[in-house]
Formats: sequence, C-alpha cells, structure tokens
Amino acid sequence: MQVYLPIAEIPVNMFVIFGMGGAVGFLSGLFGIGGGFLLTPLLIFSGIPPAVSVATVTTQVVASSASGVVAYWRRKAIDFKLAITLLIGGIVGSFLGVVLFDVLQSVGQLDLVISLSYVTFLGAIGGLMLVESVRAIRRRRSGQTVSVRRPGQHNWVHGLPLKVRFRQSKLYVSIIPILVLGGLIGFLGTVLGIGGGFMMVPALIYLLRVPANVVIGTSLFQILFTMAAATIFHAIGTQTVDIVLALTLMIGGVIGAQFGARMGQSLRGDQLRLLLAMLVLSVGLRFAVDLLLTPEDLYSIAIMKGAGT
Amino acid sequence: MIYPLALLISAVLSLLSLRQTHSEELVTALSTDLVSIQSNFTGTEIVVFGQISRDLNTIARPGVYDLAIVIEGPSQDITTRRKGRFLGVWVNRDYETFQNVPSFYALASTSKIGNLADRELLDELGIGLNYLNLAVSGSSGVPPSERDDFRKAFLRLRQQQGLYSEQLEGIEFLTDNMFRTTVYLPANIPVGNYKVKSFLFQDKGLLSKREEELSVAKIGFEQFTFTMARNHPLVYGLVAVLLAIFTGWLAGIVFKKD
Repeated sequence: MQVYLPIAEIPVNMFVIFGMGGAVGFLSGLFGIGGGFLLTPLLIFSGIPPAVSVATVTTQVVASSASGVVAYWRRKAIDFKLAITLLIGGIVGSFLGVVLFDVLQSVGQLDLVISLSYVTFLGAIGGLMLVESVRAIRRRRSGQTVSVRRPGQHNWVHGLPLKVRFRQSKLYVSIIPILVLGGLIGFLGTVLGIGGGFMMVPALIYLLRVPANVVIGTSLFQILFTMAAATIFHAIGTQTVDIVLALTLMIGGVIGAQFGARMGQSLRGDQLRLLLAMLVLSVGLRFAVDLLLTPEDLYSIAIMKGAGT
Repeated sequence: MIYPLALLISAVLSLLSLRQTHSEELVTALSTDLVSIQSNFTGTEIVVFGQISRDLNTIARPGVYDLAIVIEGPSQDITTRRKGRFLGVWVNRDYETFQNVPSFYALASTSKIGNLADRELLDELGIGLNYLNLAVSGSSGVPPSERDDFRKAFLRLRQQQGLYSEQLEGIEFLTDNMFRTTVYLPANIPVGNYKVKSFLFQDKGLLSKREEELSVAKIGFEQFTFTMARNHPLVYGLVAVLLAIFTGWLAGIVFKKD
C-alpha cells in the first residue's frame, strides 16, 4: 500500500515501513535498547532523505521509551533527581544538535558527519561490548565467579567539585559529569537520530556507579524527554519531522518490542550482549564501507532554495 | 533592468509581427489544471490537447508543422556536489549551485530538438534539456574546464529522479491540425504553479506560442499536515510528541503481562 508522506514528499510502501519498525522494535525489545541506531540507517538506506530519517526517528524513540518508562515508574525504579539533571544537559545538547544539523545540511556535509559519527561511535561501543561479552562468556565457561563491581568504588569522576546528593541512587557526585553526559547524548541523539541508551547505560554504570536497579529506568526517562525535546527542536528548526512516517514506525516498533522482550528472557545476558555487539559493529562497518569504497555516483544534488525546500 | 525590459519589448514586437504575417494560432487545453496530492498520490498523467487553427487568410505553405510542449515547475536553486577523496574517505568537495532552474521540466516534441529551430531560438525559449539556461552562482570554485561535468551530472540526476524528461516525437497528431501529448508527473514532484508552454514551428521559425497554467497542490490531510509543520512548528512538534507518548503508553497497557 503506497502512502504519500506529507513532509518527506515521497510515497512509501506502508507495509515495508511498518515491517522495518517491527523488526527494529523486535531487536530493541530483545536487547533492551531504543533501536534508533538501527532504524535511522535503515530508513536512510531505503531512500528516505537523511534529514527526515533522523528527525522522525527521534519521535519514534519517544514512543519506544514511553512504554518502558511507564513500567519502571510503577516499580519506582527511576531516580528522578538524576534523570532531570541529565535531562537539563540533554535539552541543551539537543538544541545545539539541531543548530549544527542545520549548518551541516546547508554546507552539504550532513551525510558525511552522520556516517563518520556512526562509524566512530558504533565501532567504539560495539568493540568494547564485544570484548566485554566475550570475556564474560569465557569466565562463565571456565567456572570463574564474575567479580561484581562495588557501587562504592570511586574513580576520577568522584573527585570533581559541585557535588550533589542523589538519594535514590545512593550517590554523592559532582553534577558536572552528569550534565556533560546528558548534553553529549542529547547532542548525538539529535544529530544522529538515536536515543543513545546503548551509550548512556554503560556510562551511568561505569562512570557514575549508578546502581543497577535504577539505571535502565533513569536512562529511559532521560531519553524519553531528551528525544521529545529533540522532536520539537527538529520540528521548529529543520522542519523534517514526518508525523505519518513516525506513527507507522512507532506502531510497528511497539508491537515488535513485545515479541523481542519475550524472546530476550530466554537468552543469557552475556550472549545477548555478544549479539548486540556484533549488530552494532556491523552497522558501523556498513557506514565505513560506504565511506571508503568509491561511490557509484560521485555527484549528488540538493535543493537549496525555492519549491520543495 | 534595461535588459529584461528590452527583452519584453522585443517579445511583444515579435508577437505582433507574427500576428501580421502568419495567422496560425495555437489553442491548447489541459486534461486538468489542478493536480492534487493526497495520501494515495503515486504520480499522475496529464494530457495536453491542442489545435493549430488557421483562418481563411492563412497562406498555404508547404512544409510540416513542428511542435514542442514544455511543462515547467516553479524554480529552485540546486547545488550539485562532487565527492572526492579526503584522507582516504569519500566526501563532498567541489560544488556548483544552479540558480533559478525549473524544479520540474518535461518536454514533448514532434521531432528531434535540433530540427525544430536554431540553437539561438531554442536557448531563448528554453526548449530541450541541453538548451536550458543553467546559470551558476558567482561563488563557484569549479574550474571552467570542469563546469560542463557538473551541468551534465545535474541533468542526469534530475532525469534519474524523473523530474526532467524529454519525449522526442512524443506528440501525436490526431488530425492534420489536432495534436495530443501525455506527460507523466512523478510522485516526487514539488508543489507550486507550473507552466505548460506550447510552441509551433515551421521551417525552423516560431509561428506561435501559448501558455497554460497548471497547479500542483497538496489537499486534505496532506495539506493540513504540511501547513501545520510549516506555520505552527511548535504545535506540530508537540502533537508529534504527545502522539508518540500516547502510542508508547497504550502499548504498555495493552501488552502488560501481569
């Protein structure tokens, strides 16, 4: 069924888009991630303009994190004070992201920055996850007990000034790294069309030593509202949020996520992380290949002014 | 300022002189003067009908009529970029911006474009992709020797998108002086006011021309959404966010396990 997208200004097959949303939703339910880093490239590779893909996925991430937030809220597994501090950074980062997005688009380097960032971040995070999960699997096989990091352990982050107490997370840390972390994820999320949970969660655990029981809920809460802000900034700044595309993706996504979550329960954590690492790496690799191989067509065109901009 | 004025005067004069010497006139009609884009829009066809009317005083001339019909969309500035290697990575480097070029251009003619008229006249009327006036911006850093590559790439990419096309011998004569052509408007056409220009040639001279208006517009939900996004972006953004939160929340309720 072909449907004309009012903002992207092209017709797309609704079932294909719905299927993409569903497939990515399945993976996001399976791994407990937002899936933006899979969905945005998928849309770009299928011919949706990169600007529309990025902006619209920020809306889809709002929907996919909303259902999670409700569940964690009920279980009181969200540290609101921490989440709101992250969010303040996130909104500032997101705003700067839209500004940069606009500039990059007008100088014709948006696609390059999106590709390079995907290669860098997915490559780095995927690589780290791969190493970590392989180690964990080996340790399990050899029967070693997994050493749990004590939450009280301190690192350089805990030496920074402007300390604030976060009761629910049992933390007493500087707000500087929290604002910076929130800002960075908000910035990247807005430019790349990703929620950034796969970066946020490890950072909260390893950098800030946030206890495991509130990490996911807090991260989801912060992503929900940062991406909500990103949607609004994109709607105003780049005007590339396609509501029809977003709705189709999110319906597919939330359904797929349910099946993914059920399947995820039957797999081991370290196996899941290994699979996710490979998935992250392969998306990064795909972008790297595109950057390194001689393109099929060296030329491209972009409308700068007049009808259709 | 003087140049366009002079052009206008010469155009009026040439029209007047045409009236005096030749009496052939073109009459054209479109199958529709409004193309509406709704959610089921996947492109459409537009039919241009026309007649070459001659009165009793028309001198019977030997030779055949040649026709060209051009459908032209509202103008745009379009940047064409070329990738080059930079530190081992392919990035956009040189670019050329073509100013005030048509967003859509479809030509149908009765014969090869070169047979219609001489280069000068074709350039002036903008008949044929190779005769389009593609003015570049002054800030271009492309060496003159490579400018043609950008021009060619631009035309090729626009043709790939289906936005520029040429149908040589795409005009069909129904009778001696009635003709018809069908032009396909693809799904990605920009909205705006289009011009349908018809030209009648004989022996490489322009006998008559005619211009019709065609409007391409989004209607209904598409129009509403687009206007909201443009004119009330904050409201549009908020609606998108609320819709997303509602969808997520609903899914959380519907699929609740316990």
